[in-house]
Amino acid sequence: MITAAQQSDWLLHHLSQSAGNLPGRGLAWLENLRREAARSVAQLPVLNRKQESWRYTSIDSLLQQRFITAGADIGGLENLDISRWMLPGLDAYRLVLVNGRCLPSPASSADLPEGVVLGSLRTALATDPDRLSAWFVRNSGRSDNLFTALNSALINDGALLHVGTDVVLDKPIEILHLHLGHERPLLVQPRNLLVLEPGSGVTLVERAIGADSSAAFHNHLTEIYLSAGASLDHYRLQDENQRSHHLCTLFLSQQEQSRYRGTHLSFGGVWARTDCHALLQQPGGECEINGLYTVGDEQLKDIHLRVHHAAPRCTSRERFKGILHGEGRAVFDGHIIVDRGAQGSDAQLRNDNLMLTRSAEVDTKPQLEIYADDVKCSHGTTVGEVDPAQLFYLRSRGIDKAQALSMLSLGFAAEISNGIRLNALRSYLAQRLARKLGGQTDASGMDSGNV
Amino acid sequence: MNATENRVTKLVQKEYEHGFTTELETDTLPPGLSEETIRQISARKNEPEWLLEARLKAYRHWLNMSDPEWAHVKHPPIDYQAISYYSAPKKRGKGPKSLDEVDPALIAAYHKLGIPLQEQKALAGVAVDAVFDSVSIATTFREPLAKAGVIFCSFSEAVQDHPDLVRSYFGSVVPYTDNYYACLNAAVFSDGTFVYIPKGVRCPMELSTYFRINEANTGQFERTLIVAEAGSYVSYLEGCTAPKRDDNQLHAAVVELVALADARIKYSTVQNWYPGDAEGRGGIYNFVTKRGDCRGDRSHISWTQVETGSAITWKYPSCILRGDGARGEFYSVAVTRGSQQADTGTKMIHMGRNTKSTIVSKGISAGLGQNTYRGLVRMTPKAENARNHTQCDSLLIGDKCGAHTFPYIEVKNPSAKVEHEATTSRIGDDQLFYCRQRGLSEENAVSMIVNGFCKEVFRELPMEFAVEAQKLLDLTLEGAVG
Repeated sequence: MITAAQQSDWLLHHLSQSAGNLPGRGLAWLENLRREAARSVAQLPVLNRKQESWRYTSIDSLLQQRFITAGADIGGLENLDISRWMLPGLDAYRLVLVNGRCLPSPASSADLPEGVVLGSLRTALATDPDRLSAWFVRNSGRSDNLFTALNSALINDGALLHVGTDVVLDKPIEILHLHLGHERPLLVQPRNLLVLEPGSGVTLVERAIGADSSAAFHNHLTEIYLSAGASLDHYRLQDENQRSHHLCTLFLSQQEQSRYRGTHLSFGGVWARTDCHALLQQPGGECEINGLYTVGDEQLKDIHLRVHHAAPRCTSRERFKGILHGEGRAVFDGHIIVDRGAQGSDAQLRNDNLMLTRSAEVDTKPQLEIYADDVKCSHGTTVGEVDPAQLFYLRSRGIDKAQALSMLSLGFAAEISNGIRLNALRSYLAQRLARKLGGQTDASGMDSGNV
Repeated sequence: MNATENRVTKLVQKEYEHGFTTELETDTLPPGLSEETIRQISARKNEPEWLLEARLKAYRHWLNMSDPEWAHVKHPPIDYQAISYYSAPKKRGKGPKSLDEVDPALIAAYHKLGIPLQEQKALAGVAVDAVFDSVSIATTFREPLAKAGVIFCSFSEAVQDHPDLVRSYFGSVVPYTDNYYACLNAAVFSDGTFVYIPKGVRCPMELSTYFRINEANTGQFERTLIVAEAGSYVSYLEGCTAPKRDDNQLHAAVVELVALADARIKYSTVQNWYPGDAEGRGGIYNFVTKRGDCRGDRSHISWTQVETGSAITWKYPSCILRGDGARGEFYSVAVTRGSQQADTGTKMIHMGRNTKSTIVSKGISAGLGQNTYRGLVRMTPKAENARNHTQCDSLLIGDKCGAHTFPYIEVKNPSAKVEHEATTSRIGDDQLFYCRQRGLSEENAVSMIVNGFCKEVFRELPMEFAVEAQKLLDLTLEGAVG
């Protein structure tokens, strides 16, 4: 179990090696934010199993590694051909980040409609720092764990999206997070900021993928502000290589009648964690977070949702499904909080897990914390294997076992995948899943059944 | 809503019904906790050396532990040095030989509480081992039980009369290292109940203990041990009330159940200790560790509890399902009103093949009450074809209370099936309207709906208790709803 000393050593090591060369020197609010985060080191909770939200997550092996901070230099990458990593068949405005640094805008985003800014945070720090400060200042005090502190202390670059009042984008936006080979494992820390002004609407696809087989630790921090009546369809696909760690901390704050619809797909990485904090700040907000994760050998999928109903008449729906096809582990921790006075709240939380192999493990914890009486809240969770009767039905029709298991798994995932409104992403997902499950389903593991 | 608020206020102001104290000479140790205190407790009870050693070992371990902070409850820090760890009614001569010799004031206290020992003997056929503060003073129905070979006596008697039995099971389900309060209990436990059901015996009557905290500043550290040998059956009832006091009283009991192959233990609790005043001052802190060990194949333990009292309840009756085909059950109704806080639930640890567990938890919060369900279902890799079904429902009455659900589910076997469902809501306006338009008063309608809400649990209680529980629930929620 890690100790406070180990943790602060690790943090200080990474802070010291990249102290110089950060943008926005001289911006008091930014320096302040970084300084506060760096200072908080001593007070940070030790992320061992005594911390409730880290109970099932061991970061010992991560803390034994020393990463080199990426992003000091993106020289030579301007001419990188990114087309092969783009989502095929998706007509979108694009932004590409390599090792946490934005590449100069690809041509497709040149024709963005008026009122939309899609680009690099680093550039904006140089050209329009005042506007950024208004958003960043709201975030004070959120560096409450090792990884958010690390991200805040080293704010360098990231994706910035600003959509003006009543602008509804005609095409989706794709933001691509790549990491590219270094001999030593990289620390990739984009700081993303998405601001939707009143009445605006966007569909956003974010994908985090390893461009080669090099190891990296992705420590993303994304803040999303949805103003009154704004609507965001947010797809996140995390699919790094098997040597990489991925943590995405997402802060979502929603104003009146705003709508967030998130679909979080998590397939890759040795450890992939999503920490999603949604705050329904004003009445009438709607928040829907769906997710699908697969767990193969030696993988840990770690989903933490915290949906906070702070205002009356908000609706939230969380629905996550997991397919465990290897000797890995899935952790699901969903938490709905309804404040006193948040009357008329309607919240539902579901987590279902399908275990295809013997040595997989699921730890799930769907929680409700409710301080108001006029509410409708429920949660449910299931863990189980494939129904032998269904398997038998398919086998009796001449479908081999692996294929049958794959079909049933895809059927299990359909509730989430059918909710994806982008055809390109849906078909990409179907292929990705079939490849994952087709090849890796452990047929020997199922032999305890009667088939 | 106004009417509701008025009623809530009325309810919160209601005096605790069992709030009286009995003047009685007691033999009490001065407040404070040290090795010396423990030696004294042990000496007064004439305990064998091994038990003193066990107590001291626990105490030394306890010194290195810290108060648990994970529960969803708030209370000021407890000063363990301000508590007196031993209080026994003074004995006349060598102690009572029959009920006639028991201090008449004590008997009167039981009558006030509605536990007439004599009557119960005759009417209910329930054997009662009444615990007055810390020492059992009267035990009834010893003989018919003895005929069946059942041992039902106070813990300290068992230590004297059946030392080998006690020694082989004591601490085997809840070791002293288990948690802070269990460890404290292991060091300072005063008395409790010991039950032993021999092989193949169906206990001829329902066994019952009434607890009663009487002396101010006296912690009640009960220790209950029930052992059911292969193929036996016992139903055990536990109920409690406490007189009104100003200081917080700590109750850290430990209950250990051991069920061997094909044995069944049914453990029912109605808990109605003093919940404190409107601000929650002076109520009982009920920090209890209860655990049952299904050691044999097909052994079966069920916990049923109705929790309406105590300022703070911290209690997780659990089952370790070790044997193949073992079953664990947990049925609970927890009510919090005023400033009461309850953090309660269960743990089901599935280790054997084809083990089954059922959890039904009903939480009702009114006033400023905070009600938390916290439960763990663990399927170990060997728990082939194990099943669990969990249902937790919360009912909120009033807009200032809270209902929380924190279930933990850990599955390491793919053939295990786990289902968990939870809902939180208030009484539906449509349900109320339906009852009202058929001529029921609002209060009756609510009472009916709440009773319906709890029915699944009440029907698990033995008959006498079911009646009492229903009455208690009505009484507790009187005027609180609307």
